[in-house]
Amino acid sequence: MVDAAPILEMTAITKTFPGVKALDNVTLTVRRGDVHAICGENGAGKSTLMKVLSGVHPHGTYDGTIRFNGADVTFNNIRDSEHAGIVIIHQELALIPELSIAENIFLGNEETKNGVIDWVRTNNRARELLARVGLVEDPETPIKNIGVGKQQLVEIAKALAKDVQLLILDEPTAALNEDDSRHLLDLIRGLQGKGITSIMISHKLNEIEAIADAITIIRDGQTVETLDVREGAVDEDRIIRGMVGRSLESRFPDHTPEIGEVMFEVKDWTVAHPQVPDRLVAKQSSFFVRRGEIVGFAGLMGSGRTELMRSIFGHSYGTWLGGEMTLNGKKVDLRNVPAAIDAGIGYLTEDRKSLGLNLLDDIKTTTVSAKLKKIAHNFVIDRRAEHSAADDYRKALRTKTPNVDYGVAKLSGGNQQKVVLAKWLFTDPDLLILDEPTRGIDVGAKFEIYGIIQRLANEGKGVIVVSSELPELLGLSDRIYTISEGRITGVLDKGHADQESLMRLMTKTSTTPTPKDAA
Amino acid sequence: MRSLTKVMAASAVAALALTGCGRADEETPTDTAGGGASGAAEAFPKDALIGVSLPQKTSENWVLAENLFKDDLAKAGFKADVQFANGGVGEQQNQIQSMVTKGAKVIVIGAIDGAQLGTQVKAAKDAGATVIAYDRLIKNTDAVDYYVAYDNFKVGELQGNALLEGMAAKKPQGPYNIELFAGSPDDANAQVFFDGAMSVLKPKIDDGTLKVTSNQTAFNQAVTQGWKAENAQKRMDTLLSASYASATLDGVLSPNDTLARAIITSVKAAGKPVPVVTGQDSEVESVKSIMAGEQYSTINKDTRNLVKATLEMVAALQKGEKPTVTDDKSYDNGVKVVPANLLEPLIVTKANAKEAYANDPTLSKVTG
Amino acid sequence: MNKLKEIFGGDTRQFGMIFALVFLIVLFQVLTDGLTLDPGNVINIFQGNSYILVMAIGMVLVIIAGHIDLSVGSVAAFAGIVVAIAMRDWGIPWFVGILLGLVIGALVGAWQGFWVAFIGIPAFIVTLAGMLIFRGANQWVGKSNTVPVDESFQTIGAGYLPEVGPKTGYNNLTILIGLLLCAALIGGAVRNRRNQARIGADVGPASVMWIRLGLITVAILAVAMLMASGRRGTSLPISALILGALVLLYGFISTRTIIGRHVYAVGGNRHAAELSGVRSKRVNFLVMMNMSILASLAGMMFVARSNASGPFDGVGWELDAIAAVFIGGAAVTGGVGTVVGAVIGGLVMAVLNNGLQLLGVGADMTQIIKGLVLLAAVAFDVYNKSQGRRSITGLLTQNFGRRATQDTTETVKQES
Repeated sequence: MVDAAPILEMTAITKTFPGVKALDNVTLTVRRGDVHAICGENGAGKSTLMKVLSGVHPHGTYDGTIRFNGADVTFNNIRDSEHAGIVIIHQELALIPELSIAENIFLGNEETKNGVIDWVRTNNRARELLARVGLVEDPETPIKNIGVGKQQLVEIAKALAKDVQLLILDEPTAALNEDDSRHLLDLIRGLQGKGITSIMISHKLNEIEAIADAITIIRDGQTVETLDVREGAVDEDRIIRGMVGRSLESRFPDHTPEIGEVMFEVKDWTVAHPQVPDRLVAKQSSFFVRRGEIVGFAGLMGSGRTELMRSIFGHSYGTWLGGEMTLNGKKVDLRNVPAAIDAGIGYLTEDRKSLGLNLLDDIKTTTVSAKLKKIAHNFVIDRRAEHSAADDYRKALRTKTPNVDYGVAKLSGGNQQKVVLAKWLFTDPDLLILDEPTRGIDVGAKFEIYGIIQRLANEGKGVIVVSSELPELLGLSDRIYTISEGRITGVLDKGHADQESLMRLMTKTSTTPTPKDAA
Repeated sequence: MRSLTKVMAASAVAALALTGCGRADEETPTDTAGGGASGAAEAFPKDALIGVSLPQKTSENWVLAENLFKDDLAKAGFKADVQFANGGVGEQQNQIQSMVTKGAKVIVIGAIDGAQLGTQVKAAKDAGATVIAYDRLIKNTDAVDYYVAYDNFKVGELQGNALLEGMAAKKPQGPYNIELFAGSPDDANAQVFFDGAMSVLKPKIDDGTLKVTSNQTAFNQAVTQGWKAENAQKRMDTLLSASYASATLDGVLSPNDTLARAIITSVKAAGKPVPVVTGQDSEVESVKSIMAGEQYSTINKDTRNLVKATLEMVAALQKGEKPTVTDDKSYDNGVKVVPANLLEPLIVTKANAKEAYANDPTLSKVTG
Repeated sequence: MNKLKEIFGGDTRQFGMIFALVFLIVLFQVLTDGLTLDPGNVINIFQGNSYILVMAIGMVLVIIAGHIDLSVGSVAAFAGIVVAIAMRDWGIPWFVGILLGLVIGALVGAWQGFWVAFIGIPAFIVTLAGMLIFRGANQWVGKSNTVPVDESFQTIGAGYLPEVGPKTGYNNLTILIGLLLCAALIGGAVRNRRNQARIGADVGPASVMWIRLGLITVAILAVAMLMASGRRGTSLPISALILGALVLLYGFISTRTIIGRHVYAVGGNRHAAELSGVRSKRVNFLVMMNMSILASLAGMMFVARSNASGPFDGVGWELDAIAAVFIGGAAVTGGVGTVVGAVIGGLVMAVLNNGLQLLGVGADMTQIIKGLVLLAAVAFDVYNKSQGRRSITGLLTQNFGRRATQDTTETVKQES
């Protein structure tokens, strides 16, 4: 399995975009048969490096050399690199929802006989490939009918169909729940046994720790170091130190909660799926939040946690069927988002780019966008007030940007999240619901966002944090509710909760779980 | 604040310098050229600009007119600006304005919609140009000076007569089943053609010699939007399937050749015998069709003669003479009676085609 | 050269549409021996295109919100014929006629907005249907005839400012309006600069602002002078005055008001806007309704200019308005565009059309050239964006609008 010659050597790669040096003299050597992890903060240059490797950035637009299987290679497009045996699987899956599994696997690579698609062969080969990735599905099932986890496996099957030698996975588990993530990592290990080398980009350091044979750390477009796991164990703190250039003593800042009276309460909240009226996504859910309290919500994907929160936030998801809501001691009926915002509820969405931000906007317009009234007189916007409000939040949240006229699309994930947070803080909420507040954010920014969340609680606001990462919930929350199949299955105090007890409650179901049918 | 006024003053000076000073023609010219039929016209230079604004390039005749105007105006020593307005009324309006800007002395207008050019014609008049309505009358304005056209009521009469003759030749005894087609409602002539034809046909419909099986006898039922062949063909398809499942269609009144051919196409597609179909404009394809015995008749409104008459008018205006006017009573445009020079149309069937087109270089080949 | 860059706030290649406009004007001025900037011709350009530009103002908002309106020509024609007939048959005065036209526009717009916003049918389909419905309605109501309107109504499309005050050799009112506009612009810029400075924003050197203002002022005054020095009886056309007022009004609404922000937000990311408390259905409804109101106004302006309403009024106008918007820097995907940009885009087309007509270039070639210009303008913009530069028109109109940060594509991709 271990071959002396490396399968891939990228030497002195430099890639410049107008005004930015994205990669500066980066070197990457990957041993044959390894699982090689690449770590770095957002914007460090990981994805750019992979785009150089896979021909998305064609030869000639960068400096440096790539040797693959001992020969210099020049790729002008993805087809070239795939031809050589390098396949990249992007974070956003490149599958066509309306086509079948088999059609997707052979898309652009069709099994033909005399120019006509050979369906028998296509489906048979697809079945073989699905078996290799451990996916039990009919190859003729449309992609849209299977969950994200299975789709990820189809992507890998697609790579195998192309006789892949080097598989690049960009954040493969970002959208997966724990079970599916584990399965995927097992599969990568299995492929390794069959001689396929993998490069994996991930933010989840525990996964990297578990699976990687070698780790290359990139910071600000430069290679910091390559850690060989075989020469000695590498722990998360070691990786973090490399990524941020400093060590983080404690990942969760100290926080002494000052919990007051109940300020928000939901009783028997029931919501149906917007398209399927007889499917309930929230079933008589009841919970409460106290002043100054950080309340965690733990649930697997598709458990209904996001659906519940969005329904509470001005009925912005699904069909409300019943339930009561009390805010600051008064019964409220908030049937649309503006009403919810006016009542003092803010909701930071799970999906930042498609639901949280208008990527065409700049920082100041985003900051004030959820409560324009506050800076307007008679519907006319006071641009001075807008600018100074945005600037205040920039300073308070320490958003890294030259100025508040900067486009949000140009910010890193962590800074984008700070701008979205600023947008909600600007609305002066009493209750702030944060759905996956640290998804896709690098370690340094995560730490800062934890600090902001705790500061909010200290100011006496109620905070709800929904997260897939149990260590995050455990570190941050004062109390944690668990959700399964749209039902609240339990609540644990900080002192009594651990990953196992949470997982038990999160998987407590009346029937067999079908975890991946999130809307 | 001081710098502000300074900048404003400086800008004002700069702007003044840019534009030159004030109105060049402070006094409106009181004696504009070609001030109506009775007014004595004032001569303009022999090499003056003559603007010709034509409608959409939809038929051979307009293309021919374009070439004739270009060549003959140049031959006569004038500068010619001949334009088509394929983009519609708005474009024609802008074209006429441009011609005014360029200082055209005479503007010949074949209007898309004669009722929608009042503002531009007035601008032309105000700038001292003479406006000649070519083929289509310009309505609701006193700024149009002359009208040159074939006598369109006469065209309709000839079409009506030809339809009756053609059917009588095929089947001596009535009653005859016929259908009626009219031109585009935004073209003022369409109504005139139809009225002319109906002046012949109406009595025969009333006495039962003719039967319009579909009962669509009103102008607005018979219209063909935009003179478009496809619209006529669609309507004929509908009429055939609705009214002629068993009945025989003996004749169709068609206002022009393009529509006549569309009607014949439709009838053939339905597998029916080709009825007597009238036409107008002497288009090459239709003359061929007449020689082949399909379309029955067309009208020869020789574009050459019409352009010639227009050019004679321009020449007369240039010399300061009064142009020929044959009718100064009939063409009331809503505001004034426009003096008109009307030309006689000629009906052409297979019988007289050869002699009718003897002087036409293209059509004489088809008929010969 | 560096000074130039500062004045126009960017790379010399990005001077963009305004430069294209200036270039075209100069080019045609030379080619036509000075006819392009003949007072009469400048007036004609505005009078003959202001109805298209009025629609471009509505269209840019529709396109920013992520929709399209194909029905504007038919809606214009429908409103025009109803108003013409109402004035002829019921004898209502001209201002009631205009009011009636605007109400019809609002009703038509409410109808289309209802389907787009509340039923969720794509605007392309709704307005394609509207294009047929209202064209038919125009011909049904008008019995496919051309209906004349009387002189009092013709003012809004064919009228001019009256002559008042002493005989100066110019139309006094036109000059006055030009001066007021300049004063307002300068005052606004100075105040804006003061405010910017107060909040500590980077304002750049004062000389740059003054030169920029100077150029704009000269341009405005030159146009005013030209219009004021035309043939007696002509001056600033009323239609251009309407257009100018609408540009100011909608420029303000789109950049400075809450509803304006909401239009950009819905077009930029509808879901994000909804979750920020924007009532996107209401925004979509209003945008569609506004478009039809402006289309009706444009239709009436055209009827007034033509002295009559005809069955083929407005055919193809939607394409002219849409072309103006895209030349003016809007994005097909929504969220991007400015009112001023759209009007400049429309003027580029208008000057091009006029110049080619003055040169006697045939209608066939004119269409080919206009098509190529549309393609070239948008391609140039797309190319610039892909190079990480700002959208040219966004850049040039940044003082009027707020879209100055669109060089997003590459940096977005760069993140992991």
